[in-house]
Amino acid sequence: MIEIVQATAVIEANSLCVNIKNNSILKSLNFRVEAGEIYALLGGNGAGKSTTLKTLLGFNAPSSGSVKVDGKEVINALNHVREKTAYLPESATLYTHLTARENVKYFLSLADIQKSDDEIDQAFDRVALQRNARDRHMQTYSKGMRQKTAIALALLREAPIFLLDEPTSGLDPVAIDEFNQLVRELASGGATILMVTHDVYGACQVADRIGLLRDGELVGEFSAPQNGQIETEQVHAAFAQRGAA
Amino acid sequence: MSEHSSSTARFAKMMVVAKDEWRYWLRSKLAISVLAIGLILTLSSVVVTAINTMELSHTRHALQEDAEQTFADQPDRHPHRMVHYGHYAFRAPSPLSVLDPGVDAYTGNSIFLEGHRQNSAMFADQKQGTALTQLGSLTPAFILQTLAPLLLILIGYSSVSRERESQTLTYLLSQGTSGFTLIAGKGLALMSVIGLILVPVAISALFSLHEGESITAIVGFVLGYALYLTVWALLVLLCSSALSKNSESFTALALTWILLCVVMPRVASSTAITTVPAAGKLETDFAVAAEMRKLGDGHNANDPAFAQIKASLLEKYNVDSIDQLPVNYRGVIAMTSEAKLTQVLNEFAEKRMQTELAQTDVSRDFGWLSPMVAIRSLSMLTAGTSIETHHKFLREAEELRFDFVQGLNKAHVEQLSYQVDMNRNKDTDSGQKARVNAQNWQVLDDFSFAVDTPSLRLQRGAPAFLQLLAWIAALIIVIRLVGKRLV
Repeated sequence: MIEIVQATAVIEANSLCVNIKNNSILKSLNFRVEAGEIYALLGGNGAGKSTTLKTLLGFNAPSSGSVKVDGKEVINALNHVREKTAYLPESATLYTHLTARENVKYFLSLADIQKSDDEIDQAFDRVALQRNARDRHMQTYSKGMRQKTAIALALLREAPIFLLDEPTSGLDPVAIDEFNQLVRELASGGATILMVTHDVYGACQVADRIGLLRDGELVGEFSAPQNGQIETEQVHAAFAQRGAA
Repeated sequence: MSEHSSSTARFAKMMVVAKDEWRYWLRSKLAISVLAIGLILTLSSVVVTAINTMELSHTRHALQEDAEQTFADQPDRHPHRMVHYGHYAFRAPSPLSVLDPGVDAYTGNSIFLEGHRQNSAMFADQKQGTALTQLGSLTPAFILQTLAPLLLILIGYSSVSRERESQTLTYLLSQGTSGFTLIAGKGLALMSVIGLILVPVAISALFSLHEGESITAIVGFVLGYALYLTVWALLVLLCSSALSKNSESFTALALTWILLCVVMPRVASSTAITTVPAAGKLETDFAVAAEMRKLGDGHNANDPAFAQIKASLLEKYNVDSIDQLPVNYRGVIAMTSEAKLTQVLNEFAEKRMQTELAQTDVSRDFGWLSPMVAIRSLSMLTAGTSIETHHKFLREAEELRFDFVQGLNKAHVEQLSYQVDMNRNKDTDSGQKARVNAQNWQVLDDFSFAVDTPSLRLQRGAPAFLQLLAWIAALIIVIRLVGKRLV
């Protein structure tokens, strides 16, 4: 007899509504991301992608519905959720008066995580941040270098859940490929990854599933076939047909 | 995680934030310049004011001894001439006045004591200087009360708002740091700056131990300033946390500084003067003169005002005329007149002092609205440079005046016969005879003014302490609310 096991949802939004300054940003949003899955929320500007991530981090309170991370209602378990989550903002805003290494050490110490210089270097190696740049003040960094530093920090957090906001923004094509590879490695290691993006091609390359977000609602979902990728044309057509937002 | 280990972890995070804030300051030219200027100003004001006060103290002690010696060295004279020769009482500055000269700079520090008069204190520092120095000296109290808050504003106005403006705030909070922990960490950094500012002040205050100051007063003094600057650190954190932009935070804090440090103290003074009106000097002088006229002229023994005294003396000694009295009638009149006159003068002086105190109380109540008013009161009270101390000096000087004048009048009564006294202007020889021995000039008590006890000073300062604590409690409550909503 075959036992059917219900996959565990690590991230779950049920009829999630979020209002900000009397504007309804998320309208009955439903989606779930399972353990070890890479889920991409795809949407145009103003679709509610960043709001969804901020709600998952507890920066926005749901006006109705529920949002759970690691099985817990976010609003009731802020510390737990933030401890389990590595967040990568769209524009990696790190401190320009610090070096990349100092930035990483500072943010790690705020998360109660101690890492040696070697471990930090290993993370920098994984994101291909140049060695001679690691101890330079970040005011001289390009957007891509800052993004790599933030990704290195997310890796060092060793969190089981990754929330990535436009993660490949500012990266060159080679770095994007390296990043996608890294994301797949993390997922195969058991990490749950939710990324929000407007990059159809990038999302199709890396995601196991894609949710199409439009005007605060999930209007479609696409799943990758076994050992394959989601078809870009199919998603692109849906994205274009349904409109960016 | 237990509650204890949770608070330890939270405190560790606060320390991490505080250390980073220092790293930011040390790498920022503006912040480091502001810090350096603040420290140099505090140190220099402490040194300069300490030297000035020590010189003043030395000078006043020397002048006091000199005045006493000069009085005692006077040759044989008619005792009433010595009453008008007069004497000086000098107020030695309190040990903590090196840090806060308080009202000393505006009230006089010496009084000329003579018969039949209560002179005002004179030689106030601010009246001796040029017009420019009357704007106020760069004392440690001025630095701490007025400039130190500006220093805290300059280095702290962007402490939280710059995180929001540069979009690091969300990233920081997503690392598992609570808004309150972040604000508290920034607060710890500001508190360490306060510590730096207070170190030279505390060391200087401890030096006053050698001048006889008590450790209780010193602790109260330094603690008062620590509370005051904590209020400012909290105000800085509140504006920086609640407002989204650095420019908004700076503008709000600059306006708050103007309101609390410049406007409110003046509103307090104006309100005090309006609600408790005081009679002007001319008005008071006329009223005193009118009362004095009723008492009679003590220089004229035949003044009808003294008829009753004359009658009672004649009856007491059972004689027919004042020539037959065993005491000098002129001396008795001088003595009695001085006592009555002093009573009238003291009544007016007490009334004036009570009015001044009532005005001061009204002004001090504004400490609930301005921490600057609270610390100004607390600082002067604990340093022993408040209006209460000045009044104590006036009362003690008056006591000294009355005692020495009556001592001389006693010599007039007992050691100079009425006949000789009446003939003193007849010729030179008679004038020479109408003198008493210079030994009688030893009537002066050693005058050494001391401020009130530390417990009394701190007791008077208790409301100001409460005002500062109330400010701190209210600000912490608001910051906690802001911290919960920090995004």
